[in-house]
Amino acid sequence: MSKIAVKVDDLTVAYNYKPVLWDIDLEIPEGVLMAIVGPNGAGKSTLIKSILGILKPIAGSVSIYGKPYDKQRQKVAYVPQKGSVDWDFPTTALDVVMMGTYGSLGWIKRPGQKEKKAALEALEKVGMLSFKSRQISQLSGGQQQRIFLARALVQNAAIYFMDEPFQGVDASTEIAIINILKALRKAGKTVIVVHHDLQTVPEYFDWVTFLNVKKIATGPVKDIFNDDNLTKTYGINYKVSIQE
Amino acid sequence: MSSAQIEIQLIASIVAVACAIPGTFLVLRKMAMISDAISHSILPGIVIGFFITHNLNSPLLILFAAFTGIITVVLVEYIQKTNLVKEDTAIGLVFPALFSIGVILIAKNANDVHLDVDAVLLGELAFAPFDRLIINGADVGPKSLWIVGSILLITLTLLITFFKELKVSTFDKGLAASLGFSPAIIHYGLMSVSSVTTVGAFDAVGAILVVALMIAPAATAYLLTTDLKKMLVLAVGFGIFSAIMGYWVAHWLDASIAGSITTILGLVFLMVYLFAPSKGIIAVLYREKQQRIEVSLLTFLLHLKNHDELEERHVKHLNEHINWQKVRSKSVLDLAQKNNMIHIENQIVSLTEKGDAFTSKAIDYIITNRDAQIEDMKDDFFLFRG
Repeated sequence: MSKIAVKVDDLTVAYNYKPVLWDIDLEIPEGVLMAIVGPNGAGKSTLIKSILGILKPIAGSVSIYGKPYDKQRQKVAYVPQKGSVDWDFPTTALDVVMMGTYGSLGWIKRPGQKEKKAALEALEKVGMLSFKSRQISQLSGGQQQRIFLARALVQNAAIYFMDEPFQGVDASTEIAIINILKALRKAGKTVIVVHHDLQTVPEYFDWVTFLNVKKIATGPVKDIFNDDNLTKTYGINYKVSIQE
Repeated sequence: MSSAQIEIQLIASIVAVACAIPGTFLVLRKMAMISDAISHSILPGIVIGFFITHNLNSPLLILFAAFTGIITVVLVEYIQKTNLVKEDTAIGLVFPALFSIGVILIAKNANDVHLDVDAVLLGELAFAPFDRLIINGADVGPKSLWIVGSILLITLTLLITFFKELKVSTFDKGLAASLGFSPAIIHYGLMSVSSVTTVGAFDAVGAILVVALMIAPAATAYLLTTDLKKMLVLAVGFGIFSAIMGYWVAHWLDASIAGSITTILGLVFLMVYLFAPSKGIIAVLYREKQQRIEVSLLTFLLHLKNHDELEERHVKHLNEHINWQKVRSKSVLDLAQKNNMIHIENQIVSLTEKGDAFTSKAIDYIITNRDAQIEDMKDDFFLFRG
């Protein structure tokens, strides 16, 4: 059994006293590429945000490699939903990627040549180097998503959390992104993705968590991605044929 | 220029700069109305602070009033969090209530001091040079100059020190939180600076102009640049320009300085709103017109590509067939010829090699929606600039 990268214990999160996540226990082993699936309002984004300390849970705890998130920030990178920011903000693609280096700099210290070099390398990896000086509102949806991915890459983390990275991107960007995610897993990183498209789960991911306010199931895709769990999660009689 | 005139312009300019800096971030955070709320609701803070310190220029009074500003923000957020009303409604509920408490307090208790509702609304910049700061018997300048100068110095120091943190938490709160830059600390830091600046500027320019000085220069700068640092510099520039121009307009018209500065701010915004190179109304209208012509051009080129028959490519036929008015047909034909995309021989229009290549590429783009292929076309055509 490999090491546990992320451990969630008895996590309960509520908005205005209405539970969005109910008593979640979850262990994510190191080195998996995991999808979190579930219907709208299942608490997928909430789970990620709670693990990252962006939302305060009303009960439970989270540990990253055995320690609280506060102590392990450097090991974690986060890609929020593309729609969560204002793309009219006056800044360039390169500058957004540079923001990924702010965490390792800490308060007050400014990014310098080293950070700029890392940001340019990350832009190169996502195929966006020629857009480095482009104002971010002038980028297409897919390009914006790649910029976000580059910003996470620049953090050089051990664990990557991504909130719907495939939302509103074209097919070629989707392939580019999944190839980068697979490369990350190959490099021994743990990648956790909130995902919507059930059809692509077996092709893209090796680990999956079914979530609908409660955790339904978690484990290897080949063992647990089946009609039974899908029906339990989505509440309707779900039929997918994943075995070709 | 008398020394009083120079002092007034200096105070106005410093206030403008001190306001433009937090104003830029308020505009980017879509919190412009919060500055309006703060500027009004610090009034009870000023009045109560005055009762305690008996000195309108005391730093303690400034802190006390700024604290009322923070309370405003907290109250607005608290009401909003209940989800019973939206943010703008919450703002509309909180600040008039606090402001009116201030008005009542002045009317009941402060009739004999230099604090009346007119001054509160419009400021008394013209009188600022009369209130001098005397240290060891030496006159070192107007008190308000020292107050707003110190506030500007603090604001500038904070801006330079925490620029990175301000930027990341303004652009992406979620990322800032996950990186360990508490958005709440930065939010309340910005609110504190805005409150202190508002109080400091209040005496000089009044509650209404403070809002204009915070929002107008930043909104104007926003239309001109895509770089946060340049936006700050431009906002500061517009603030200073309006402060000095406003002073002289007031001088010539023998009118209120605060009113004149605000008018200039509005005029500067209007000019930029109309004439800004890429976001201005005129540029936008021009671009839309160009895009319409370019769509027509593409339709036309595609028609030529699809038809080998001579009768389909006759100039006259094109007019009737594509069903365009003469003017439009002519402008499209001119544009295509100017770009060497077509040649006309005996009234028959044909695609040139360049025109043919362009059409294939453009159609390919429209079908696949892949961006990389059309990078070089973006310079020549608006249509492909997204």
